[in-house]
Amino acid sequence: MLHSRSRLLLACTMGWLVTIPAIAQINGFTGQVLEVVPPDREFATSDEHYQYLLEKANGGTKHTFETLPRWDGLWYTAGNNHMDPFIEGGMRGGKVREGVLTPAYETAYKERWRQLQEEGQVRYDRLTHCEPAGMPRWLLEPYNHEFINLPHESWFINDFANSIRRIYINQEHTNLAEMNGAHSWYGDTIGFWDGDKLITNTKYLMPADFTRWSPMTSNQLELVETWELKEFEDFDRLVVQVTMYDKHAFVKPINFVYAFRRADDLDEIGYRVQHWQCEESSNSYLDENGMTNFYLPGEPGYKDPRGATLFPELPGQTPDPFNDPVLNGE
Amino acid sequence: MKNSMDNNFYEARKEMFIQRSNVKSKSLIGLVLSSFLFTLSSGALAHHSFSMFDPDTEMVVTGKVVRWAFNNPHAWLYINVEDDNGEMVEWGFEGGAPPSLVRAGITGRTYVPGDEITVMFSPLVDGRPGGAMCWVLAADGEYKKPADGGCGARDPENISRWEKWMEMGISTSKDPRAER
Repeated sequence: MLHSRSRLLLACTMGWLVTIPAIAQINGFTGQVLEVVPPDREFATSDEHYQYLLEKANGGTKHTFETLPRWDGLWYTAGNNHMDPFIEGGMRGGKVREGVLTPAYETAYKERWRQLQEEGQVRYDRLTHCEPAGMPRWLLEPYNHEFINLPHESWFINDFANSIRRIYINQEHTNLAEMNGAHSWYGDTIGFWDGDKLITNTKYLMPADFTRWSPMTSNQLELVETWELKEFEDFDRLVVQVTMYDKHAFVKPINFVYAFRRADDLDEIGYRVQHWQCEESSNSYLDENGMTNFYLPGEPGYKDPRGATLFPELPGQTPDPFNDPVLNGE
Repeated sequence: MKNSMDNNFYEARKEMFIQRSNVKSKSLIGLVLSSFLFTLSSGALAHHSFSMFDPDTEMVVTGKVVRWAFNNPHAWLYINVEDDNGEMVEWGFEGGAPPSLVRAGITGRTYVPGDEITVMFSPLVDGRPGGAMCWVLAADGEYKKPADGGCGARDPENISRWEKWMEMGISTSKDPRAER
């Protein structure tokens, strides 16, 4: 039997050398294929689905601090099937599956896919302009996640763009659309525990997309998620079974699976989640042809992310603590 | 500032630059070992697409660090490079996000203004002095890979190939002498 590190190394090497058609993963080491586990039956709405699971769990498990599942530490994304329902034939040259999206969304997605295939990019990606990832993109964006479970709330954090999802345990939805006059990037999420499984329902989301190569979703997107820490042969994963409902975008609800794995290497070096810059440090922009490009030094619009602030006459007013000309005696 | 790049390098090859994002696991020699496949979806790590870079061209330049912007959403390394006319041109190279780079031992102190370094990169298709950096060779001979997407940093043969090419005075993979 190979030592686990050797197995990992061997597997990594295989990963470099082997290119195999699609099944279900993206973003990092994934190991075993993740399987989509659809709900027992179909539901018309996410409310109906969530209530069914709540009743099935006899109202849910009332955890205390002592009994709550702990998912502490840093986590990476570790696989998903988010493209499988929409594309057949792989990312290079694949085709949009027909009849999955509503006609308007299917037409829009075919154009998006065409741009990606023929031009190398979609002409608009929210992230380029420092907009939030939002849901459902949060489920697959990389970087570092934290999952903090408390008896009354769970906080799911991605350091990417400072994204925080709050799950209100054993509570009803607050209609954010009514309160705030608009949906939000992460919507309103309620949840309950069924033993060690966390079941959530998210509503009131902004229209968004999964990624720049995925279909758009509408302001009617709603999700039912089941989160569970599961053991695998290689390493544990936090597996998320998701059913997405979208009256505008999907012909019928679609089931997905996502996963996260522990970022032991980051924990070991003491990495800590930091505030994510973007607006003040990103030099990407859409050019006159609608294509993403960069401002370089000396060009109008360029922002020096290590340069002086609005108060250059004061010492120490750059975000570069290492190369301080005053302290360095320059 | 001026752009010293030869636009001949950028004859439009707008091939799709989508990283392979989906792979499947496979058993290995009857062991319980399932394949861990490192997805080649580095594009997924980025906050934008990469078609502004020419993924089919690799280049190297040597110069002195102007600043190392170890910032989200992407780190950028800026260096001054002397062009053929003896003028200094500031080049900018995009890398990964700091939370990803720290996993490779790259920090905000890795590059210091004044350091002489060599950068291998996929250039901007529009010919301006910039690109997606693949690896960086420091004066002490150490290679690091602050890459995000858009270059061949993940090719295990890449550095040894370039070591040979650089000995031959090659600075672009489009050089007819640059045989793989």
